[in-house]
Amino acid sequence: MTKDHTTTSTYSRRDALRLMAAGGVACFAAPNLLGKPAFAETANPTGRVVVGLSQEPTVFNPLMAHIEVDDAVHFSLFDALFRMDPKGVLQPNLAAEVPTQKNGGISEDGLKWRVRLRDDVRWHDGKPFTAEDVKFTLELITNPKFRAWRTGGHSLVRDVTVVSPTEITWRMEEAFAPYLSFLAETFMVPKHILEKEADPNAAAFNQAPVGTGAFKWAQRVAGDHLELVANPEYFGDGPYVERLVFKYIPDMTVLYTQFKSGDIDVVDQAYITADHYEEASKLPGRVVTLEPGASLESIYLNLEKPQFKDPAVRKALYAAMDRNAIIDAIYFGVGTLTETFMPKESYYYNPNLPAQEFNLDLARKILDEAGWVPGSDGIRAKDGVRLSFANATTAGNNLREQVQQFLQQTFAEIGVEMTISNLPAAVMWGEFWLKSQFDSAIAGVTYLIAADPDATNRLHTGAIAAKGGKGSNTGQYSNPEVDALLEKGARTFDPEERRAIYNRVQEIVREDLPFLPLFAYTNVLGRKEGLEGFEPNANTRTASWHATTWRWQS
Amino acid sequence: MTAIVANSRQERWWNSRTAHRFMSHHLALIGMVMIAVLTLACVLGPYLLPYDSLHIDLRARFAPPFTGHHYLGTDPLGRDLAARLFMAGRISLLVGFSAMLLSTLIGTLVGVLAGYRGGWLGTTLMRTVDGFLSFPSIFLVLALSAALKPSPMMITVVIAATSWMEVARIVEAEVRSLREREFVQAGRMLGLSGTHIMFREILPNAMGPIIVAATLTVARAILMEAYVSFLGYGIQPPLPSWGNMLNGAQQYLGTAPWLAIIPGAAITIAVTSFNFIGDGLRDALDVRGDHT
Amino acid sequence: MRGFLLNRLSQSLVLLLIVSVIGFVVLNLIPGGPLAQFGLDPSMTQDDLDRLREQLGLNRPLWMQYLDWAWRLVQGDWGHSFRDGAPVLDVIGRHLVATLLLMGSSTVIAIAIGTWIGIRGATHRYSVFDYLATVGAMVALSIPTFWFGLVGIYVFSLRLGWLPAGNMYTIGDGSALNYLHHLIMPSIVLALVHVAIWSRYMRTATLDVISQEFVKTARAKGLSERRILMKHVVGNALLPMITLAGMQLPSVLTGALVTETVFTWPGMGRLFLDSLGYSDYPVVMGLLMFSAILVVLCNLVADIVVAIIDPRIRLS
Repeated sequence: MTKDHTTTSTYSRRDALRLMAAGGVACFAAPNLLGKPAFAETANPTGRVVVGLSQEPTVFNPLMAHIEVDDAVHFSLFDALFRMDPKGVLQPNLAAEVPTQKNGGISEDGLKWRVRLRDDVRWHDGKPFTAEDVKFTLELITNPKFRAWRTGGHSLVRDVTVVSPTEITWRMEEAFAPYLSFLAETFMVPKHILEKEADPNAAAFNQAPVGTGAFKWAQRVAGDHLELVANPEYFGDGPYVERLVFKYIPDMTVLYTQFKSGDIDVVDQAYITADHYEEASKLPGRVVTLEPGASLESIYLNLEKPQFKDPAVRKALYAAMDRNAIIDAIYFGVGTLTETFMPKESYYYNPNLPAQEFNLDLARKILDEAGWVPGSDGIRAKDGVRLSFANATTAGNNLREQVQQFLQQTFAEIGVEMTISNLPAAVMWGEFWLKSQFDSAIAGVTYLIAADPDATNRLHTGAIAAKGGKGSNTGQYSNPEVDALLEKGARTFDPEERRAIYNRVQEIVREDLPFLPLFAYTNVLGRKEGLEGFEPNANTRTASWHATTWRWQS
Repeated sequence: MTAIVANSRQERWWNSRTAHRFMSHHLALIGMVMIAVLTLACVLGPYLLPYDSLHIDLRARFAPPFTGHHYLGTDPLGRDLAARLFMAGRISLLVGFSAMLLSTLIGTLVGVLAGYRGGWLGTTLMRTVDGFLSFPSIFLVLALSAALKPSPMMITVVIAATSWMEVARIVEAEVRSLREREFVQAGRMLGLSGTHIMFREILPNAMGPIIVAATLTVARAILMEAYVSFLGYGIQPPLPSWGNMLNGAQQYLGTAPWLAIIPGAAITIAVTSFNFIGDGLRDALDVRGDHT
Repeated sequence: MRGFLLNRLSQSLVLLLIVSVIGFVVLNLIPGGPLAQFGLDPSMTQDDLDRLREQLGLNRPLWMQYLDWAWRLVQGDWGHSFRDGAPVLDVIGRHLVATLLLMGSSTVIAIAIGTWIGIRGATHRYSVFDYLATVGAMVALSIPTFWFGLVGIYVFSLRLGWLPAGNMYTIGDGSALNYLHHLIMPSIVLALVHVAIWSRYMRTATLDVISQEFVKTARAKGLSERRILMKHVVGNALLPMITLAGMQLPSVLTGALVTETVFTWPGMGRLFLDSLGYSDYPVVMGLLMFSAILVVLCNLVADIVVAIIDPRIRLS
C-alpha cells in the first residue's frame, strides 16, 4: 500500500523537477496550485473544519521561535514568497515568479537576488502588501533583539533594496542555494503594524496576528482551541470553508477517539497512532491514508564513545536489527524501510544503496573478525572497552520503549549489552542531546530544512556543537569527503548537479553508518469523507498547509 | 535509676490490649491477609510460572487472558503479563516500603529535633516543613526525577524526599506535648543526655502515631510510584513496575483493556490493604484520625 | 490583634520567600530547559539556540535571574510566558475557570453524596450499609485516580459510547448541556476521593450530634427523627462543610491535575504539566506562587477566625 503510493508520487515529482531543471521557468508550466481558478470566484465560504492537534499552537508570530505544530496555523494566516508544493516544486505565492538563475532572478554567481511580487495582495486589515513588508520581514529576522526562529540563510542577506512596491533585491554574503527553500517557510509580516512596536517580542500582534493568508484570526481559547475565519478578499484560490478551528488534544488516544466520534474533521500533527491505523482504516465515513513523512527514525550513535569508534561495531549492530519485525509488529506495519536520511519522495533520494540484511550470524562474525571477544559475562570487549552502552529516548514514548526492549534482547544475543535510560522530553532534547552527552539515542529526525537536500547541519564536521560547532550534528559524525561535498552542494543551484552530490553523500553515509536507520516515517492521516481539496504534503511539517482549498462536498 | 524512669513511662505502644483491639478489627485483618498473599505471590510467583518476565515473543503479543499458559494474557511485546505483574509487584512494594522507611526516618528525626529543642531550630525546621508542604508534591517528584537518573533507588529517594513532612508534623506535635511530662522531667533531673531523652524516653511514647503514619505512607508511596512511572518518569523498562505497566496501556485501551485493568487492580488491592491496616492500627493505638 | 496579625503576616511572607527560592532552584536544577523543544529542529543551530538563551536572559547567573524575577514580582509583574508571550496572570486566568468548573461540580457531588452516606451510616450504625460505606470509603481512597479515569473511559466512552472521552465541550456547541455532558465523568472521578473523606467526616459529625443532649430533648419533644437530623446535624456541620470546601481552594493547582490529564481538561493542572514539560519557567513559577499565596491566605484566614473565636491564642 505504502509502496504504491511512493512510486506514483516519486514519478510525478521527478518529472516536475526534471522540467524545472531543464527549462528553468518550467514552474510556470506546472499547473499553478495557488492561482485562482475562474469557477471559484463566486463561491461563498461555508461550513467549518475542525483540525485536531496533539500539541498546542502558542506562537502566532511566524518569525518567532516556534515548533512544528505552530506551522499548522501559520500556513493558514500568512503567506510566504513561495510555497513548496507536494511534488517538492517551489510555486510562487506572494512572489509573482520563483527566481532562478535561468530567469535572471538569481545572478550566475548566486549572490544577487531579485524577487517580483504580486500587486493584488492585501493584509487582513485592508492595507496593501508591498516590497516594504518583505524588507521589514527580512530585517526583523536578523534584528538582534528579536527572538527569531532560524536565522540560517537570512544572516547572509545584505543590502535589501526596495526597487518598487512590487520588486525587491538583495545581495548574499555567499552563495547559498537552500535559501530559496528557506524563503518558502519565511512568512511575511506587516510592516505598518509591527514597526510601531517598541518590543517586537511582546507586540499585541503576537496574540492577534494579521496576515495576508486565506484565513483571518478570530479567537483563541488557551489550552483548548483557536478559531480562524475565512478571508473573502484572499488573492489565491479559496477559501471555501468559513471557519477553521485548531483543537488541542494532548492525548493521542483521545485525539483518535474524537476523530472516530466525528468531533474532529482532520487529524493533523502527530496524526493517528500506528496501533489505531487498522481500526481507523475501516471506519465508515472516514478517509484514512498512509502518507510518507520527512523524518527518519534511527538509532543515533555518539561516535566519540569508544564503543562506536570501530565501524565494525556499527555494522554488526545494524545487521542485528530485525527491522521488519519492528515495523510489522511494534509499528503495525506503518513505516517504510530505508537506508538513507533522504526522504524517498525527494528528488535527491538515492535508490541504489545496499539493503540491510538482518543476520545475527553475520553480526557475530563481523565482531569476531574485528577482535571483539566475549568476556566471562558474555559481553564482548576489546582493548578494555566493553561493548555496553545506554540507549535514551523520550520517556513515556511507549512504542519506542518497545523497540528498545526488543533490540536489547537481540543485541544481547550477539554479546552486546544495551541498557535503557529514558528522559523526559525537556531533558532529553536539551543539552543531553544537543551537546552529545548520550551513548546512543532513538530519535525521529528530519535532515532537510524546508525540503532542501542540504544536510550540513546534521552531517558536517563544523556542525558538532559538542566541539564548538554551530549545527546539530549530535552524533559527532566527521568525514572530510562528506564535508567537502556538503559545502559544494550548498553553493550549487542546478538540481541535476546537486543530485549527483547528494547521492554520493548518501552512499558514504550508508557505508559509515553514523546512525542506524530504523524506518522512514509514514504518517496516518485521517479526515472526514466529503472534505475535498485536501492534499498531504511531505515537504511541509503540517497536514494543514493548504487549508484554503478545503471544501465540504455539497 | 533507669528503672524508675522506665516505671514512670506510659504504657508501651504495643501491648496485649492493642493487639487484641487490632485483631478484632476485621478490615485490618483482611488487609494483613491480602498483603501477605500479595507479597507471597510476588516472591514465589515468578518461579511457578512457565514464562520469564523479560522474554519477548512478538508472535504472542496481545494475547488476552487465559490464552494457553498466559493466565493474564500478554503485553505488546508478547511478554507474559502474570510474570511481569509479580516482578513488578516486587519492585513496587519494595519501593513503597523503602520510601516509607526513609521518609519516616527523616520525618521522625526532624520532628523530634524540632519538638524537643524548640526555639529557633524548631521554628526553622517547621517553617521548612511548611515550605515543602506548600508545593504540589507532584511538582517536586517530577522535577527531581527529571533531574536525577531514574532507577528504583532514586525513585525511592525522590518519593521519600517529598513525603516526610507529614510524619515530621505529627511527631513534632506529639513530642512537644510529651516534653513537659513527668517522666521526661525526671530524666532531665537525672542528668540524662538530650539524645537519650529524645530517642529513648520520648520517641517510644510517640510510636503509635508514627506507626500509623508510616503505614499510610506506604500506601501513598505506592500510589506515587505508580503515577510517576505511568507518566514515564519513574522505573525504566525493561524492569516492570505496576506504574510503568500502565504507561502505554492507555493507548491499547480499546483493543487490549486487560493491560490497563490488571496492573491497576493490583495497585488498588495493595493500597487498600495498607489503608485497612493503617485504619486498624489507628483504632487499636487510639490515635486521632485526622490525616486522610 | 494587630501584633498577632503582623506576626502572622511576616511569617507568611517568609514562607513565600522559601517557596519561591526552593521552586526556582528545583526548576533550574532540571537539565534541558526551555530550548529543548527546538532540539530536534534541524534548522535551529547552536548559534540560534545561544542567541535565544541570551535573549531570554537564561545565560545570566541563577541568583541574578532569581532577583530579577522576584523584584518584578514584588512590583506586580509576573512576567511573560516563554511559549506564547502572554502575561503569566493572563495565562493562569485563562485556565482557572476550567479548573474551578471541574472542582466546583465535583465538590457539589462530593458534598451531596457524602452527606447522605455519612448521615445514613451514622443513623444506621453498624448496619450493612454502614459497613459497606466504611469499606467503600477506604477503597475509594486507594484507587489510583488516573487508573479509575482510564477504566471510566474504557467503559463509558469506548465500550458504551455514552460519555465523551475528554475535553470540556464540543467545538461549535457551547450549550450548557454539552458542558454538562463533558463534565460528568471527570467530576465523578475527581469526586470519588472527596466523597470518601466527606462521608467519613459527616458520619462522625452526625454521631456527635446524636449523642448530644439537645437532640435527646428534641426527640423527647416528639419531633420526627428526620427533622431533628436535618435541623441539627446539617446545621452543625455547615461550618465545617464550608471550611472543607475552602480548604480545597489551595489545591486548585494540583487537586485536579491527574483528572485533567486523563480527561484532557484545559485547566490549571494541565497547564502546569505542559509548562513544566516545556520548561516555561515564568508560568511554572507563577503557578507555584499562585498556589502558595492561596495556601498562605487560607491559613491566615483560618488563624484569624480561630483567634477571634478563642482569645487565648491571641494572647500567646
